[in-house]
Amino acid sequence: MDWTWFHKWGSPKWFYELSGKWLPWLVGAMFTFLLIGVTWALLFVPEDYQQGLTNRIFYVHVPVASISLAFFPLMAMSGTVFLVWRMKLADVVVKVAAPLGAWFTALALASGSIWGVDTWGTWWVWDGRLTSLLLQFFLLLGVVSLRTALEDSEGAARACALLSIVGCINVVVIKYSVDWWNTLHQTSSNFTLAADQANGPEIWLPLIFMIVAVYLFFAISLILSTRNEILQREKRAQWVMDLVAKS
Amino acid sequence: MQFSNFQEFIEMGGYAFNVWSVYGMFLIFLTVNLYGPLRKNRQIIRNLKRRYALNAQIPSRSASADTQRPTGSETTEEESA
Repeated sequence: MDWTWFHKWGSPKWFYELSGKWLPWLVGAMFTFLLIGVTWALLFVPEDYQQGLTNRIFYVHVPVASISLAFFPLMAMSGTVFLVWRMKLADVVVKVAAPLGAWFTALALASGSIWGVDTWGTWWVWDGRLTSLLLQFFLLLGVVSLRTALEDSEGAARACALLSIVGCINVVVIKYSVDWWNTLHQTSSNFTLAADQANGPEIWLPLIFMIVAVYLFFAISLILSTRNEILQREKRAQWVMDLVAKS
Repeated sequence: MQFSNFQEFIEMGGYAFNVWSVYGMFLIFLTVNLYGPLRKNRQIIRNLKRRYALNAQIPSRSASADTQRPTGSETTEEESA
């Protein structure tokens, strides 16, 4: 098997150059999906017969909350690659993903709270889903502070990789919390393409636009921070010096 | 279209606070995590430019300027811009 792709991906220089070419396209696609999704969600989605127009919050809360669950698996995969193959770029991903994941989780919690205050009649309950998501927020802050707390950068990288792998257990808890504990948060709606499902395309099509937009945003923000971290770590490399001289 | 005029759109059927605060936070979240790294990139390049210029002036500094793990080339002589 040809492993050159693996070594290429491990090369910060190669990543920096390739991602620079991708970014304009990703940003263009993100704004297109975001504009269509937000306009559709705010102006055209029909009013819910129980929730009224608070159903607009669904189109921010669901994409952000579901993508917030991708952070620990992503950091665990990158952490494993770093621990096993010593790939520096994988550790960069673990480092920059943690604060972004904390942002995602915080927005998922806040938007859910503001949605719940009128539909559930409460800002907060110690429900399984809410509590496990709050735990994810603190675990992500833990990964961020673990990095700054440890003096030895190699040791910090290893500790963060390990905590990321352990943190995946909580993702499973978050995912199945609504099925295990029947407290307050509802279970996931079934999204099938069948015609007889409860929610029609006028409900779920704008959601798909928002999910794609938020996924693209997630990728773009992660790539931008990865590039910054690469520049700082590789500041003694000739290619960074050339790049700085050119700009 | 669910609204017949702009006033109705702003009022959001009595849920103006809920809807607009969530969309407002979403906007802040997007701006911070896109504009933040872009601004930081310009800042890093500016700092590196200054640092390389300084290293070129005082060649002995380049070896001891930083205690971080050395990666890549150590030569900074040709950097003056």
